Amino acid sequence: MHAPFSQLTESLIRHRGVLGAMVVGLDDGVMVHSTLQVGVNGNAFAALTASLYRKAQRSAGAAGFGATGFLELLAEQGRVCAVGGENLVLVVVCETRVNVGMLRVDLLRAVEQLS
Amino acid sequence: MASDDVRTLSEALAADPSSLVFLQLGEALRRRGDLDVALRVALRGVERHPQLADAHDLAARVAADRGDLDRAVAEWETVLQYAPDHIGARKGLGFVCFQLGRLADAGAHLGAALAANPEDASLAAAIQTVQAALEQAALSEPTIAAERATVPVNRAALPPESARAEVDAGALFDDLLEGQHSAALLLDADGLVLAGRYQATDGRDLAADVGAQLSGVSDEASRAMRHLGLGAWRQIVFETEAASVAMAPSRDGVLLVAAARPIPLGFVRRVLERALDRANSWLGGA
Repeated sequence: MHAPFSQLTESLIRHRGVLGAMVVGLDDGVMVHSTLQVGVNGNAFAALTASLYRKAQRSAGAAGFGATGFLELLAEQGRVCAVGGENLVLVVVCETRVNVGMLRVDLLRAVEQLS
Repeated sequence: MASDDVRTLSEALAADPSSLVFLQLGEALRRRGDLDVALRVALRGVERHPQLADAHDLAARVAADRGDLDRAVAEWETVLQYAPDHIGARKGLGFVCFQLGRLADAGAHLGAALAANPEDASLAAAIQTVQAALEQAALSEPTIAAERATVPVNRAALPPESARAEVDAGALFDDLLEGQHSAALLLDADGLVLAGRYQATDGRDLAADVGAQLSGVSDEASRAMRHLGLGAWRQIVFETEAASVAMAPSRDGVLLVAAARPIPLGFVRRVLERALDRANSWLGGA
């Protein structure tokens, strides 16, 4: 039996350079479902990315920019991408070499299934 | 605060659970980002001291940091039941009501706080921000226009006069943005504008407001980086209904580029990179 989000995360992790894909509670940062490569600390990425996404949502709302969609954090040794649904956020951890454009399109498509 | 201090405070609380040391412990945990533990400490303190205004104030501040704004409002309203002149609660309620879009309530709370502490410049600035938001809400939705205007500049954070290039700080990025519905702002570590401009179509300058609101995102990213093992952050980009936003660290502050939504995200990133070079040269006096 497959978890409700397994097809979604498994399709995302097929991207070259993606190390993990997670469905995370937006309010509490708790992981709902994940497909991770060995060694990826999913719980830390889930909690901290959800927190960053909430902060971006609140800040953008307060600045008059409206609802937040795709978010990407680029760091020295990797990237984290996220797209929020109604109560869930889809989080992808990847290497810097990932094709962000393709990943963004798939994330925006996938997040429609979260609602 | 060092973890040793947290340990010491924890031991003191364990030795005497009825003491008020939970206020220091909860605040220390809140400041270092351990919000779940901080909330537990605060709520336990509220249980033991239900009529202590500062206990509810601690719970409210932790709740606000966790993004639980409804709980924060409830706790700060409880504070005011026990201490009607509690400035921290008024400030907190003003901030949270602003975040919730309850602008009139925000103005009322901040006004009450300013009346109790008329020399607090940050309160006066916050009220100005609320008033500007109220005026903005009464007008049509703002769009970004790269037109010339003067931006409030935090002079104290600028490099020495002799080291600065001879350019108008507000116009520092204008040539990079020419013809685009976009804006670039260089902010210091406190979210204050160092250079750049952000104008609504009605000509009002929104640089200080937008900068203050969005600079917190970079703080959150820095906090996340300490735990994720990915090294330092280089860029944050996110899309909203009205704009694409890109940010990058710049010396002690952050550079922010916002562009109206039809402009592609890749273009926004390129502008960010070019503006970052410009900002670093300007800060270095090159």
